[in-house]
This record gives sequence, structure tokens and C-alpha cells, in this order.
Amino acid sequence: MNPTLLVDIVVGGLITGGIYALVALGLNLQYGLMRVLNVAHGEFLMMGAYLTYSLHTAWGVNPLLTLLVTGPASFGAGLVLHRLLYARVLAAGEAPEALESRSLLLSFGLLFVLQNAALLIWSADLKGYSYLSIPFRFLGSVFPANRLVAAGVALAVSVAFYVFLKRSFTGKAIRALMQDPEGAQLAGINLSRVHGLCFGIGIAMSAVTGSLISMLFELTPFIGLPYTVTALVVVILGGLGNVVGSLLGGLILGLVETASVYLATSDIRLIASYGVLSLILILKPSGLFGR
Amino acid sequence: MSMKRREFLKTTAGGAAALTVLRGKAWGQVKPVKIGYTLSGTGPYSVGAGITQGPNYTLWQEQVNAKGGLLVKGEGRRPVEFISIDDRSEHETAVRFYEKLMTDDKVDLILPPWGTAMNFAVAAVANKYGYPMLGPTAVSNKLKELSLPYFYALLAQPDPIMEAFVGLLKDLKAQGKISKIGLAYVNDLFGIELYNSATPHLKQAGLDVVDTKSYPLGAKDLSPILKGFKAAGADVFLGLTYPPDNILATTQAKEVDWNPAVFLTAVGTAFPFYRDRFKGADGVMGIAGWNPKVKIAGAREYFDAHVKKHQKEPDRWASAFAYASLQILERCVGEVGLDRKKIKEMLDSTEFQTVGGPIKFVKGMNVSTPGMVGQWQKGEFEILWPKSRATGTPVVPKPAWA
Repeated sequence: MNPTLLVDIVVGGLITGGIYALVALGLNLQYGLMRVLNVAHGEFLMMGAYLTYSLHTAWGVNPLLTLLVTGPASFGAGLVLHRLLYARVLAAGEAPEALESRSLLLSFGLLFVLQNAALLIWSADLKGYSYLSIPFRFLGSVFPANRLVAAGVALAVSVAFYVFLKRSFTGKAIRALMQDPEGAQLAGINLSRVHGLCFGIGIAMSAVTGSLISMLFELTPFIGLPYTVTALVVVILGGLGNVVGSLLGGLILGLVETASVYLATSDIRLIASYGVLSLILILKPSGLFGR
Repeated sequence: MSMKRREFLKTTAGGAAALTVLRGKAWGQVKPVKIGYTLSGTGPYSVGAGITQGPNYTLWQEQVNAKGGLLVKGEGRRPVEFISIDDRSEHETAVRFYEKLMTDDKVDLILPPWGTAMNFAVAAVANKYGYPMLGPTAVSNKLKELSLPYFYALLAQPDPIMEAFVGLLKDLKAQGKISKIGLAYVNDLFGIELYNSATPHLKQAGLDVVDTKSYPLGAKDLSPILKGFKAAGADVFLGLTYPPDNILATTQAKEVDWNPAVFLTAVGTAFPFYRDRFKGADGVMGIAGWNPKVKIAGAREYFDAHVKKHQKEPDRWASAFAYASLQILERCVGEVGLDRKKIKEMLDSTEFQTVGGPIKFVKGMNVSTPGMVGQWQKGEFEILWPKSRATGTPVVPKPAWA
């Protein structure tokens, strides 16, 4: 294989994978920990993207600086949503299946509300802007600078979150709840509080990914759902509730997709990614890193 | 409403024509002409629907009602009332609603939904109930094969479009300005049809296609394809694209540092949005059909009225034809009334003068408008090909990306 092609595939794959990892990590926090299958996850990504778009086009704010707005704002929105909506339907002590189906219905409702809100505010016209839309030469190949930056930031945020989980006290509480909800509560961890926190962080991750994506693609109110689906694939691939799994799962999916595009054709991208998913589910049903 | 009525009476009181219209009846009592349609307000089709069709429907309605209503033969002027919903880009929803419009609401006329696939779905229903349907955004070779006598297509179809594309490229090659083509197409009915039409024309013209690649609808990264074309030494990018990937291809060509002599893409290039998105998009070519500089009566007035009402320009391909379809209906109703059979007969036998130029249907296909290629030059999408319709000359090689 010629070395430039290898660089194209590896770097291209990491760029795509970095973004997948961040959006999947957010979903995994909600699904893996709380059994909330948030199908509106991608809509928060869409909202984050529009927020960055508006801040950048109206006031000329650097898109990367807008992360400081979209992150905290969506985290706050997540806390409020959890308190007002999810905390009520997620009454403790019920079967996980009941929680799943209820939260699924709720998320579907949220999806429509958010899409239509975006439609009212920004209309259905394509919206976009150019940021760092310049070539960046690297090891004999050339990559869009904005994609490299977006993927770099996404990976940095993912790794920072991983460190937070490993090192901080709250992070330990989250991990404890993931491993054994009942045991953790017996040890004095406040379930509802940690749930709210995770929901907020999950949504913030989605919105931050959206901010990054707005530098790369045109926006419409309907860009969210495909990301929810991809995130779900990554979560299943990496293992439910497994943070490292989501991170590596995202990167693997990105690499597989990019390799299939370069070595075969764009049309088999989806076949390749679902093929890998099926293979993993057959060989290891709990996911690559699942217990 | 009452305010409008008073204004209307005030402005027309002196006109003898208006007095005839209103003799014995007040404006509010005249039975409106009911026209039904669906347009995608949400979902993937909403972008195109909101640019090419919606604004023209409402512009026409406003203009007609300002004149006192739609002139119906033998009845005088009747106000136009629209009945419409958002079909959410779902074919079933559109089909169901059109069926309801025709059987339940018993509308007088229908207007089409947006997009080739939607038109396909709805045309069958329109045909069943005998409603003439004039589609300004339906492009498919298959339309000719289906037996849909009540369906009329206003745009040039894939074959003539590709004839124009290849005609221009052949001319440029003869001048020694281009030599190698990289061809990419979106793997969707529209892209595949354009591709199938393009291949024989390219071959016949002796043009050298160095690489051909397809990609799925909604592709997120076209840089592998563009890098491949660049490496193969292509100096023409021929992209049979749809709006989102059209923009992606343009963005990424610049990002992988590829500026071919000719950058020719398909759907969406003619949108003013595209020009604004790429700082003028100077030198980019695409499917064209119309611009305000064409020498057609009413073209400039149409452009100005569109901008005034919607604060946005009509696109440079199908917008004018959406408006033209309404002009055609208006003339038919004025001359034969609301009898839909008679309207069909008139559609089949008449040449219409519209803001899009003369339009004549043969077996439901507009045979008067050729396929055209345009190029963004200093803010206007100049028509380059065919030469008989040209408003500008090709700038090749295209300037560097802005």
C-alpha cells in the first residue's frame, strides 16, 4: 500500500472517529447509566451547531470560543430537562424495560419539539459558514484544517472526561453507579443527583460536537437523527456503559468507514460500518469492551 | 380582511372593469377559487421547497388577488384561496392529502409538491382524478415512459441537461482549455439518471473521463473522491450533485487544494444561497435555466417583485418556471374556465409566453426550453450554453477559490 494512502486512511479515520466518539460518549452516559435511550440526542447536537452558527455569523465570535457558551448552556438545559421531565418518569425501583420505554417516548416528544423550534428560529434553509476552510499538508497528503481542529478538540474533550471519571470524586460516583446501582446507593451516592449531572454532561457533549460540526457541514433542523443512530452504533460496538469502549468504538468506526471509502467506494460506507457492528454482536454480544 | 376589502374598493372604485366584477356582489361574497397543494415545510425536501416553490406560490396569489382575483372565463374575477399543508417530505402524507383535496375539499385546481420523487408519487393521484399538474421541479427520464396524461414537466430533463453540459465541455476542449474529466455522481435516482444520460454524450464527444465515482446521498466526506481526481490530473470536476453534497464538494475542493479549470455541479449551484455561501462562487458552473438578464418580457419585473415580497432572490434554475406554471394556469382559466378537461386540452395545444420564455408541451414535456449551463460571474449566474440562450461567455480556467 502506498504510504500516502495509509496516511489518508489513518488520519481521515481518526478525524471522523474523533467526532463519533464524542457524540457517542454523551449518549452512553445517558443510556449506559440511566437506561434513558435519548433519541433526541442528535437534536441537541443540532441546537449546539445552530447556536455556534448564530454567534459566529451575528457577532463574529470565533467558533471554537463558542464552545464556552454551548457547553455550559446545554449542560444547564440538560439539568433542567432532567429535573422537569426525566426525573419524574424515572421513578426508582421499576424494571429497566419500563424505564426504557417511557424515556424513549419522552425523548421522541423532545425530538419533535426541538426540531420544530429550530425550524421556527432558523427556518429550513441551509445555513453554514466557512472557518479554517484551508488545506493543511501533512505527511505527503492534504487535509481540511477545520476537520483536524474539530477532531482534535473532540478527542481532547473525550480524554478530559475520561480523566474526570478516573480521578475526581464525582467521577468515581458515576462509575460506581454504572457498575452497581444498588451498591452505590447503599454507599451513600445520591442517584437522582448523579443522574441529573450525567444527563447534563451527555447533552453538553452532544451540543459541543454540534458546535464543532457546524464548522464542517451545512445545517438544517434535521441533521441530528443520523448522529443519534451513529452514536447508538458506537455505544453498542464499544459496550453499554463503557466509556473507553465508546472512545475506541468511535475511532474504530471512523477508521472502518474511511478505509472502505478509500479502498472501495463511498457507497459501501454504511455496509462496512454495519458489517463490523454485526460481526462484533455475533462474536461478542456485550460489545467490544462490555462486561 | 375587512381592511383589505376597503382598500381594494378604494383603489378600484374608479375602474370600470372592477365595477363589472363587483356588480351585485361584494368581494367577500364571491366564491373563491380553491387551489390545493402540499409543500415540504419540514424534512429533507424543505430546503428546495422553500426556495423554489413556496415563495412563487404566495407571490402569485398576492398579485392575482391584488388585481381583484383570478379571471375565470364567464364568471369574472374570483379571489384565490390556497389550501395547503406541510407534507413533512413524506410521500404517503402528500399522496393522502392530495387525495383528500380532490375528493373531500373538491378543490378547483392543484399545484404540485416539490421534487422529482414527490411529483412521481402525486402525479398518479392527479391523473386518477383528472387534475392537471404542472411540475416545475421534476427531472427524470422516466416521466416520459409513464403514462400520465395530466402531468406536465416544465424543466429540461436529464438528457437535454447533459447535452448542454457536454456541448460546453466539447467546445472548451476544442479550444484547448480542458482535457481530463473527473466525474462524481450522487447514488440516488436523480444522480443515476443524469449519469446514465451523461455517459453516451461524453463518449460521443470524445471527452476523456479519467475517473468516475459515486457516493451515497447524505455523504459526509467527499475529500477522498476529490483527492483521487486531483491525483489523476483531472482539470474538470463534473459533479452530478444534490444540494447538501454540492456544497460539501465545493468546500472540500478548496480544502484539499484543488482548483480545476472547470468546476461544474448540478442541483443547488443556481441558488443565490450558494453564491453568498462561497463569497460570490466566482467561476463555478451548474445547471441553469433563467436569470434576470434574459431577454424575456416580464423577467425583470418578476425578479423585482420576488425580491420585494420575500427579501430574497429567486434561484436561477427552476424558480421562474414555478412562477411560469402559475402564469400558464392563470391564462388557461381565463380562457376556458375551471373545467379541467378543457384546461388539459389547452395545455396540450397552446404555446404559452411566460417569465421563463415560451413554453410548449408535447406529451407533457416542455419542448421549448433547452438544457442550460450557467456560471457565477460577479454575482450573476450567467447562462453560457446553449449559445442561443447565453447571457455571458465562459471564464475558463475558473478563478482561484475565494
